[in-house]
Amino acid sequence: MYGFHGHLLHVDLTSAKFTWHNLDEARLQACLGGIGLGTSLLYEYAPARADPLGPENPLIFASAPLVGTSLTTTAKYAVVTKSPLTGFIADSLSSSYFALELKKSGVDALVITGQSPSWVYLAFDRGKVILREATHLLGKSARDTESCLRAESGNDDWRVAAIGMAGENGVRFATISNDGRHAGRGGVGAVMGAKRLKAIAIRGAVDTAVADPSGVAALALAMQHKSIGTLTAKYRQIGTVANLAVFNRLGSLPTRNFQRSTFAHAEALSGEHLTENNFSRRNGCAACTIRCERLFKSLAGAEQRLEYETLFALGPMCEIDEPGILLEAARLCDDYGMDSISTGATIAWAMECAEKGLLPQADLFGLRFGRAEAFLKIIPMIARRSGLGELLAEGSKRASGLIGKDAEDWAMHVKGLELPGYEPRSLKTMALGLAVSPRGACHNRSGAYEFDFSGEVDRLHGDAGRGSMVAASEDFAAVLDSLIVCKFLRKCFTDFYAEAAELLGRVTGWPCSSVELRQAGERINVQKKLFNIREGWQPEDDWLPPRLLHEKLADGVAQGVELPAAELREMIQSYYLARGWDDRGFVPDDKLRQLRIA
Amino acid sequence: MGRPKALLPFNGEPLISHVVCQLKTVFHRIIVVAAPAQELPDLEVDLVRDEIEYQGPVGGIYFGLRAAEPEIAFVTSCDAPFLNLALISHLVSRMDGFDVVVPFWQERLQPLHAVYHPRVLPFLKEQLERHELRPIFLYEKVSTLKISEQEIRAIDPDGSSFINMNMPADYQAALQRWQDLHPPATFCSVELFGVARLLAKTSKLDLGIPARASLAHVIAALAEKLPVLAGKVIEPSTKSLIPGYACNVNGLEFVRDPSFEIKHGDSVFILSADAGG
Repeated sequence: MYGFHGHLLHVDLTSAKFTWHNLDEARLQACLGGIGLGTSLLYEYAPARADPLGPENPLIFASAPLVGTSLTTTAKYAVVTKSPLTGFIADSLSSSYFALELKKSGVDALVITGQSPSWVYLAFDRGKVILREATHLLGKSARDTESCLRAESGNDDWRVAAIGMAGENGVRFATISNDGRHAGRGGVGAVMGAKRLKAIAIRGAVDTAVADPSGVAALALAMQHKSIGTLTAKYRQIGTVANLAVFNRLGSLPTRNFQRSTFAHAEALSGEHLTENNFSRRNGCAACTIRCERLFKSLAGAEQRLEYETLFALGPMCEIDEPGILLEAARLCDDYGMDSISTGATIAWAMECAEKGLLPQADLFGLRFGRAEAFLKIIPMIARRSGLGELLAEGSKRASGLIGKDAEDWAMHVKGLELPGYEPRSLKTMALGLAVSPRGACHNRSGAYEFDFSGEVDRLHGDAGRGSMVAASEDFAAVLDSLIVCKFLRKCFTDFYAEAAELLGRVTGWPCSSVELRQAGERINVQKKLFNIREGWQPEDDWLPPRLLHEKLADGVAQGVELPAAELREMIQSYYLARGWDDRGFVPDDKLRQLRIA
Repeated sequence: MGRPKALLPFNGEPLISHVVCQLKTVFHRIIVVAAPAQELPDLEVDLVRDEIEYQGPVGGIYFGLRAAEPEIAFVTSCDAPFLNLALISHLVSRMDGFDVVVPFWQERLQPLHAVYHPRVLPFLKEQLERHELRPIFLYEKVSTLKISEQEIRAIDPDGSSFINMNMPADYQAALQRWQDLHPPATFCSVELFGVARLLAKTSKLDLGIPARASLAHVIAALAEKLPVLAGKVIEPSTKSLIPGYACNVNGLEFVRDPSFEIKHGDSVFILSADAGG
């Protein structure tokens, strides 16, 4: 087999048993790898209606065929599990050296089930699997955990993915971190923590054969040239933080828990301002020529990595206007291992509840929009689940359910996953993408906003044309996430499916057409949907928070624009129609047969 | 000048487009004579290529006049941005019976601001064959009316018609002169984001643009004002945004059509085409 090892390793932490299984080629062809492979394995290994934080919920690490090749931006891996935030699928990606080491481990996927009687870490060292005591690592950040494991094992070349304190304490939006990157969304770190698995350390030694090495090298070289052209200039020269000033001007910057769509202090937080005043260093994932990562100088003078989503969630959402405070908050999220979007959005929800008198505990704590001191204090409390942090560690959906009254109206999530930094009322295609995404409000499993920024559609008015756009965008993302290729390379493809099919063919030796690849993207999305349906998905889960449907935009260029429920419903119906699903969003048998899903 | 004169940006468009546009208000037919491989913008004109290169003005006049035959032709160069249409009409009206009508301005004949009858074609051809490349040799052989400076000043007091550009300083002076003479009727603001802002070291600037200006005019004017964007945000040859960049008008409409009309007071945003975060 080319491009894959053809094996997975199943680790049962309860019994400390390790089992190798074959992965047959037909299955890999159908689901590609990465997110697709993880989704397929999740459906197989998770019993229906499993408790996400219970031992039976599998935590799956999946590699992919393009990982480890010379194609730029492919050093990535997928983490798939049932989300403790949403109760549906959580599929996250992380990047860099750990991804390359996983690829060299000799297996295409790690499936971890059970719960260890005590805290352990998993060492997967040149094919040998060992569980080791990890109590001494508790409380450490992922970075410190890696340093510690390398020092005590004497293996400087171990690559480590770990959880921080948030994962240990079951914060429902905890991340799994490696090389300063995170598998960030959906609470995969909480699942790892519930298994009492602090870290996975890998040293691989198995190369993956490629069917046509010179063909792959030629295609990779051509793509490398494109990756350093003007199509990626934003990512290379400013990073994703460049979005903030633009979104603010377009009335698309969620501010004050989505009460506003512009932020008065956006200029001070803009990527341009940070680049000119706080820039420290440019960095990148392993094997990446784009290198979008930006490190800025924090209050203490240390370097802190910052992306747009962290910037929006810890800045305008909470009305924090000091770059230094924001960078410190970002550092805390990184160190504790918490999804910065969910952290910021959940704190913003609590700030609004305090303001409205719904959460006296938060009011007493001084948690109000724009108040930096309480804002910085609450983040460690969430990670420790102490005081008010115990409630906020549940995420905005569960926390608002516990408070009751009107608190649920101000919780800005879809299916339990907090919204990213794209205002749905002024980005109507994105509104649909957020409503129907299988993992909840997500900006990565589709790039629906691209249509709103293209000039092809009226971004302020939704219509029945959007369903096919969102479906196409989701399928495109599923293929990228399963091969795996970074989305920041996407515009460098001229004919994505044809070029990606050729790449996949040269790596695996499979005859693969662009039509088949597009169908694989659709199949992966349907498999995610099937998992959600099995876990209790209902049509009302594909919906947006009440605020977005009942309040007009209060400011900015799109002031007065609204998103009536009828407009959203029309778009959702068009999406189900484009997908070939029934009008309630369930998948008919003929669609399963068409996609060859058993 | 460092680049072809015909393509120098002027009043939001290539210089030759500016000249053609002015002449179209007087003449129903415009003939452009260009070197065999000369790059030109899209022009609604009859295009004639020199059959033989490096024949100077005589070659240009000859090939253009031959294309115009049997009609008379007013001849000008492409680097004369301050044409006085009243003066041109006057020269044409003075053609009665003459082979050539040529202004005499500040002690010099102005052969590239003159009217020619196709009767002179055989003489021009002979000159070309003898490599007599200065047009004034023609005037001794044919019936030529020289228009005095006094007569010219009655219509074009400072002789702006005869301003042309041979050095970069001439070009800069001409740009300034045009701006002084034609304060723009329309202003728009351009807001820069991301890479464009970092390069320009400014987030916003105001641009004067002609009435009924298009997005293409704005981008060309921006390129003129901020040369640092050339090759990085704006394609120098086409004066359009480089792939990877997008344009939004007033924060509402993403615009890709270069002919989109920009109105007085509009804000044009230049931003990355990729909103991924």
